[in-house]
Amino acid sequence: MASKAKSRWADDEGDAALESRLKKEKEEKKRLKAEKARKLEAEKQAREAAAAAAQQEGDGTNGPPAKRRKISPERETTQATGHSDESNGAPKLLRFNGGAFGKSRSVENYDKLNDIEEGAYGWVSRAKEIATGQVVALKRLKIDPKDRGGLPVTGLREIQILKDCDHRNVVKLREVVVGDDTSRIENIFLVLEFLEHDLKSILEDMPEPFLASEVKTLLQQLASGVAYLHDNWILHRDLKTSNLLLNNRGQLKIADFGMARYVGDPAPQQLTQLVVTLWYRAPELLLGTARYGAAVDMWSVGCIFGELLTREPLLQGRNEVDELSRIFALCGTPTDETWPGFRRLPNARALRLPAAAAAAPGRGGGGSAVRAKFPLLTAAGVALLNGLLALDPDRRPTAKEMLAHEYFGQDPKPKQEAMFPTFPSKAGQEKRRRRETPNAPARGQQAADFGAVDFSGIFSGREREERGGGFSLRMV
Amino acid sequence: MSHMANPLATPDQLFQRRSYGSLPIELQDTIFFATQCLTQAAGLLLQLPQSVTAQANVLLARYWLVESMMSHEFSDVSAAILYLTAKLSPHPRSPRDLSNVYAYLLSPTTTSLFHTPTTPPPPNTPAAHYRSETAYQAFHTRLLTLEARALHALAFDTHVALPHALAVTYLQALDFLGLVGKKKEALGARAVAYLNTALLSPQMLYLTSQPHALAVAAVYNAARDAGAKMPECEWWEVFDVDREELGFLVVGMRSVEGWGGRIRGELRGMGVERGMVTRGVVEGELRRRGVVVVVGVEGGNGEDPEEEMARRMDEKMAEMEADV
Repeated sequence: MASKAKSRWADDEGDAALESRLKKEKEEKKRLKAEKARKLEAEKQAREAAAAAAQQEGDGTNGPPAKRRKISPERETTQATGHSDESNGAPKLLRFNGGAFGKSRSVENYDKLNDIEEGAYGWVSRAKEIATGQVVALKRLKIDPKDRGGLPVTGLREIQILKDCDHRNVVKLREVVVGDDTSRIENIFLVLEFLEHDLKSILEDMPEPFLASEVKTLLQQLASGVAYLHDNWILHRDLKTSNLLLNNRGQLKIADFGMARYVGDPAPQQLTQLVVTLWYRAPELLLGTARYGAAVDMWSVGCIFGELLTREPLLQGRNEVDELSRIFALCGTPTDETWPGFRRLPNARALRLPAAAAAAPGRGGGGSAVRAKFPLLTAAGVALLNGLLALDPDRRPTAKEMLAHEYFGQDPKPKQEAMFPTFPSKAGQEKRRRRETPNAPARGQQAADFGAVDFSGIFSGREREERGGGFSLRMV
Repeated sequence: MSHMANPLATPDQLFQRRSYGSLPIELQDTIFFATQCLTQAAGLLLQLPQSVTAQANVLLARYWLVESMMSHEFSDVSAAILYLTAKLSPHPRSPRDLSNVYAYLLSPTTTSLFHTPTTPPPPNTPAAHYRSETAYQAFHTRLLTLEARALHALAFDTHVALPHALAVTYLQALDFLGLVGKKKEALGARAVAYLNTALLSPQMLYLTSQPHALAVAAVYNAARDAGAKMPECEWWEVFDVDREELGFLVVGMRSVEGWGGRIRGELRGMGVERGMVTRGVVEGELRRRGVVVVVGVEGGNGEDPEEEMARRMDEKMAEMEADV
């Protein structure tokens, strides 16, 4: 094995011999090709003569098939040799690089700077790689030593999925490191690229909502990230503003894949319905379906769209039932027309819908309150939001369809990422006044609070920015 | 692209295998072959799809290029990696299932994995492969420890792209599946058989070649065996494999049978008629040969020798209890 294995890496006489052999082969091929071409030419002439003769005889039925039978193998071989000739003897072969494997490094390669937050799946802190000085986010996996199932499958899935992902709108996993004591692996850290903000804290802190052009940039990035995930058979299953990160260059990245998983086509029969944070959970999940797909993520995208416009979560249900009633209040109640087959879902059987809704013919804007709730949104924007918040999952646009929506083509155009305003970074511990109030954004207090903070420096350029031609004045 | 590419072994890693202080290479090969066979058998009994078991085979091979072979019991490593692979797949298996299956496979009364029986098997009594609760708990703990160790050794990269589906695609592309009747089935089955056999090869073909090359080599071998007509041009280049790599893999895949025969002979020489080769057996063999190998010292993680001894005694006790 040694000698065989060696020849694959070592450059020695064997290689030289091989090269000369290849050269010889190439010349041989060239010669053969020339011969073939000559033969072909001769044959062609002969056939043409024969065909001409046959036509003269008036017997054209036997000609074509004979021609085809004879010529096709010849043509194939000449093409093959011709191809390798073109690329100068050495055919261009695609090389796949899957990298190497080896032990994971120690967390001691990083210096902890400060804690960022504690999520359901672990603690996140900001750290600096000692060797390079690069700032990263360290996410520690929560491991329950009493759990006799071993390492949590959600954490392992997150690692697996993030390792496979490579997209500018998906957070990058640089490596996985472990605690210093390697005799037992209890501390596992995901080393993620560090982004200054999450969208939720920005929305909570900003004195006035994003401009229409900024909303478009964010949505576009979100949709292209989601499209990438869905293209690669990944369902995120926990899209929400606190899982969307934003850096100071206006780039949005999807993070936290603790709920994500690979799915196939057709989707697996039994998926857990206990996914997605309640406020972003699609109605089919609330109604208890076990078969769902990419559309659950698109519903969450719709909720995020609404949140970007108003700065507060769109559907803040207190529990599953309340969430569902808020959904129906906003999007209209489902009928067999707007959502065929919803009655067959497990939790829909007990559902008692108001009689008025049953009387209302179709939805088509009639049942939906989206238009009224977002008076400043353009018609195309309302159409997109209505599509994303369609009760019937089959009617929601895919992420790709969403990217092609006319909403993004209309004025005001999506703002360039580089032109995006910057904010004080909470994760980076930059100066900010308000304390985080996670689940209760109180709108009324904001104005009073912000009186004390001098944001004029950050937003001073805003008046001079393009506003999209009187866009915000239009009321429909 | 992730379906087409695997992380491969570096020349350094392959070299380290035969470096000073490690086990004699033929013993490593024996252990490798035996453990891969054991993993396959366990996969079958656990009713896992071959795609899962094959991934476990590949991960196990990678693991042993990073971690020393003698640091843990071979069957435990096999079980832990199979457990981990199944957990990440849509077909998870419980530690209890794994414990039962491995207890059965390791029991001295089970039909041998490696030899056609020369003597009639001893009566198969359920008690022989019963594991006491204590033994199960010990196995379970070892399983979880090793699961984490394996992930650490592989830097949590559990990605394995298998060549099986590619081989079928290539067969289709070459119009081999346009054949009628038995020959078509035989050809496909043969190609897949070559791929599965290659998992056992101590040459570690899955760690030195990308899946597309393995698939082409398997198709080539299968077509040769079936006497099917292949295109006369250098068709493997269409699938991005050069002649040298193809030649290496074709020979490598064909030689596994010979390897297997030799290794079975060696196992018999070491007195492994039934059950599985263990660290104890390997240590005995080393002593017999007079080879001094520092056993149990792992690169870098420096387990205390005393602790190691205590652990080994615990295991022995658990085994004895299980035997009673």
